[in-house]
Amino acid sequence: MSIDTRDALRQWIAGVSDKTTLESLADDTPLFRNGILKSVQVSDLILYIEELAGRAVDVEQIKPGAFRDIDTIHRSFFTHDHA
Amino acid sequence: MGDTGNRDRGQTVLSGDLLDLDTCLDSIFTGWARCWNAAEYRFPACVEARHLERLDYFQSFPHLATFPVTLDREHGNIDAFARGHACDSRGALDLPKLAAAEHVLTPAACYHVYIELEGEALDAPRYITTRATCFRNEDEYTPLERQWNFSMREIVCLGSAAEVEDFLTRTTYVINHFAAAIGLPADWADATDPFFSPTSNPKYLFQKLEPVKRELVYGDGLAIASTNFHRDYFGEAFNITRQGDHAYSGCVAFGMERWLSAFLGAYGGTREQWSCLDPFKP
Repeated sequence: MSIDTRDALRQWIAGVSDKTTLESLADDTPLFRNGILKSVQVSDLILYIEELAGRAVDVEQIKPGAFRDIDTIHRSFFTHDHA
Repeated sequence: MGDTGNRDRGQTVLSGDLLDLDTCLDSIFTGWARCWNAAEYRFPACVEARHLERLDYFQSFPHLATFPVTLDREHGNIDAFARGHACDSRGALDLPKLAAAEHVLTPAACYHVYIELEGEALDAPRYITTRATCFRNEDEYTPLERQWNFSMREIVCLGSAAEVEDFLTRTTYVINHFAAAIGLPADWADATDPFFSPTSNPKYLFQKLEPVKRELVYGDGLAIASTNFHRDYFGEAFNITRQGDHAYSGCVAFGMERWLSAFLGAYGGTREQWSCLDPFKP
């Protein structure tokens, strides 16, 4: 389940970004710091996380850095100790 | 001190000691800009609305905008206005037909920089400093602390990501050294810009997730300076490039009237009480 979620996130990100490829995007690649995702894509990413997680994301409760890379997103939204 | 005259809608008149303090602080800040060989620019009071539209400014900050307007020149419109009473008993203008508004009074000093550099390929990091009277329409005003129009000194860097991060890091260090040396009680805190309808704006969400704005906060919450890491947002919007990619940018901004307020609060209202600045005077 965990691996599928990371793969799904990787495919989505590689699909919307013109700054990376599926092969070069690692689980610890910084997504925003390296410009792989733009600020305007945050809302779409949240919607996709909601779709994957099957629940709504409370944007006011999201902690800084929660979208740093695929690993961090996975820990924040797809494990029992999520933020 | 006796040097501020307060006006309606959050405007302040400075003279005497406080104006001298403003001049002294500005000379210190521009001294830091010179350390980066920053070019001084003086920009017009207005920004063309079409440029701000490219930044989604009117979706992000419509509530803050102030528009300069003029009278439509057709069909005796100006004659009729000149013959009537311009203001009602409350001082509100009774305006006739207006010409198309194509400008916004400068909301932040650094917008002019990116517009000015549109289309440039930078062969080295570029540093620019400017001071502007900025206009932000607010619900409430407090003299020197939250004004409709106020003075902002900025130092802007455009370059690669590493060059901009280095600029912000080093300038933050200089500001920290200065604040500590004069004993000003102020600390840095993550901040977000005052977006309209923030929770539905991806740029606000982004600033929460990836803090790009830090404010130097004096006392109970008065932000007197800020550092802002824009990534390649302005470089992409205005096609400014560095080393083949869209240039990154960052700026350090000083709210001049707020520095005066902090000095009045921290040290008092007389020139003699501001002697902590003596070692820093150019």
